[in-house]
Amino acid sequence: MGNCLTGDVAGGKQAIGGVQQRPTSTTTNNAAQNDAVDFFFRSRGQYPLFSQIELSLSASNLIDRDITSKSDPMAVMYLRKKDGKLEEIGRTEVILNSLNPNWIEKITVSFQFETVQTLVFHVFDVDTRYHNVPVKTLKLKEQDYLGEATCVLSEVMTKPNRSMTLNLHGNFGAGVSRKLGTLSVQAEETIASKTVVEMNLRSVNLDNKDLFSKSDPFLRISRLVENSIVVPVCRTEVVDNNLNPIWKPVCLTMQQFGSKDTPLLIECLDFNTSGNHELIGRTEKSVAELERLCQQREAINFVYPSTSHGRNKVLKGQLIVDRFVEKIQYSFLDYISSGFELNFMVAVDFTASNGDPRTPSSLHYNDPSGRLNSYQKAIMEVGEVIQFYDSDRRFPAWGFGGRTADGHVSHAFNLNGASYGDEVVGVEGIMSAYSSALANVALAGPTLFSHVVDKAAHTASQSLSQNSPKYFVLLIITDGVLTDMAGTIDALVRASDLPLSVLIVGVGNTDFTQMEILDADKGRRLESSTGRVATRDIVQFVPMKEVHSGQVSVVQALLEELPGQFLSYVRCRNINPVGAPAI
Amino acid sequence: MTKTLEIDIRSAEGLKINRRLIKKKKTFAVVKIGEKSRSSDLDDSGGSNPTWNFKSEMPMKGSVQFISIEVFYRTRCGRDKKIGEARIPATDFMGRYSHEGHLNFLSYRLRDEYGDKCGIVNVSIVVKPHSTETTMFMASSSSSSFETPSIDGYRGRIVTGLPVWRVTT
Repeated sequence: MGNCLTGDVAGGKQAIGGVQQRPTSTTTNNAAQNDAVDFFFRSRGQYPLFSQIELSLSASNLIDRDITSKSDPMAVMYLRKKDGKLEEIGRTEVILNSLNPNWIEKITVSFQFETVQTLVFHVFDVDTRYHNVPVKTLKLKEQDYLGEATCVLSEVMTKPNRSMTLNLHGNFGAGVSRKLGTLSVQAEETIASKTVVEMNLRSVNLDNKDLFSKSDPFLRISRLVENSIVVPVCRTEVVDNNLNPIWKPVCLTMQQFGSKDTPLLIECLDFNTSGNHELIGRTEKSVAELERLCQQREAINFVYPSTSHGRNKVLKGQLIVDRFVEKIQYSFLDYISSGFELNFMVAVDFTASNGDPRTPSSLHYNDPSGRLNSYQKAIMEVGEVIQFYDSDRRFPAWGFGGRTADGHVSHAFNLNGASYGDEVVGVEGIMSAYSSALANVALAGPTLFSHVVDKAAHTASQSLSQNSPKYFVLLIITDGVLTDMAGTIDALVRASDLPLSVLIVGVGNTDFTQMEILDADKGRRLESSTGRVATRDIVQFVPMKEVHSGQVSVVQALLEELPGQFLSYVRCRNINPVGAPAI
Repeated sequence: MTKTLEIDIRSAEGLKINRRLIKKKKTFAVVKIGEKSRSSDLDDSGGSNPTWNFKSEMPMKGSVQFISIEVFYRTRCGRDKKIGEARIPATDFMGRYSHEGHLNFLSYRLRDEYGDKCGIVNVSIVVKPHSTETTMFMASSSSSSFETPSIDGYRGRIVTGLPVWRVTT
């Protein structure tokens, strides 16, 4: 439990919710919504039978696990699957020193009307040694368990106010039954909207609430839902020792603030390391009113609710909106339907680790009865998806790790065997090129991805110089045992600033842990041997055996990270959909 | 041949001194090309993830192989102490994958004087096209910039000679 000082103060002072992050970071806690997957199914007439729900969590009377201070609670939400196992859906942030936390981070889940969705919540006390660590990377086994609660999503949705309070219980062992507190769940339907509002807020003449120094003010913005329920939406960072603070820009999506006329509660609080933040003042304004304040260069005075006189005391402290910008955040589909082209490229593994194609156990087995081998199955399933998104259906197709007719081992030879060009037409083109390559190319080794990644990067950079709106996706179908990890990482880091994504499809039963490193999902950015760090995560790994066992659909797995990676590229360069008005 | 580089030192993450994340020190970054250097303003909020968004334009000679980014912190006495340094090879923003005028977002590992890892710095670099070059020269070089050998430190530029006098008959 670390030192005697009260926890991760620096982490607790950071902003949460609607504040601008690194431009290349993708959104978290949005496990269910995926534009690309929805579009794919809708085009086949399969409309989604679910709606997106956002859950806000708060707890009260939690037990105290820290000795010199209170617990630093964080909640994790799981979905109980058919086999009883728990699948993590999302996490809230960590709130310091509070036994009655009101978390700001919302967890999104898709509410499927026809299934029973059992939600399990675990509350943890986060250890003080985790300073400034992204919540996603915290290992739950190392945290102190505070309790758990279970409920069914449809039950929450049918209650009045869509909120439910659950008693926390725990499995601490036999004979221990203590009051562990309660957890409240509030559900709201999310409205997918594109408007985003960015404001620069500052205050002047705030009251001093600290004894020997000045206040450490921060703002907490909440939304007032019907029946006077307050849902916190965002929190700015803490400015130390300042009665005239200027906060970093706050960026709110329409999902967070509702509509431009929904009243928002803006509270200015003084940060205390004990967790009891003192209220300096508050005000209620809608987004439209804040816009007007900015345009007319007016300021609004904070009020302090006083019970004795029955009237609120108007304070000298004022809130000023320096800058108000309304932007439209385009979605992945907006770009695609406007003319942004997705170009797919395929690379197939021809290394000897697949096994001799003449033996039935080989992944490349050419079954005379016509049954598809693992590679053919993967190409068919994956090809269906990419064919849908690639407008001209022409794919460059390569093989790697095979010995071609001239006797040399090539790590990027044309699959169609032609010397003039590497393109094939349609999924059937890939299949026929694959069959003919299998007959003409001998399996060799080693398994190197760097050559095909370089080739794909070369194609992507050439299109950049022509300024055409194209995004490239390289599909590598492999059996998974990568020989040159360092070289592959170098090639991926070099390509990380280009409009390129790399989807690695793993066939067979090998251990794919290496691929998990490349996928960089745990937050560790790839680093090359020259000291350059990847600008963004461009890799997505899909193990086919999970697809075939029915745990995840191939469409879902393949397209999971693609919209995020695409948007991270276009948004940080302010590229708008073709023909869209420049903001 | 001198180019103009527009460098934006945006932010850094995970800054460490002696392998521990820094907590309350105010930091700033310095970009150095050859002998010239420019420093950013101090990041007031301090801590290990500062944001500077420091934009500057600097000339760069063709012979320069790399530019360096150094991160310092200011002590209470007013002295500047170095946290770490990163070297950006010129080929990362000129050459193979990036043509002129392209906005490159790059990130590099910072290493301290002992060679230990001490953070990551995020920059964006644009090589400004030089205004006095002829347009014909630009068009011919971009298509074959992968084959021609490097001559003056820039990969793949074709040297074109312009006649300064003509023999009149």
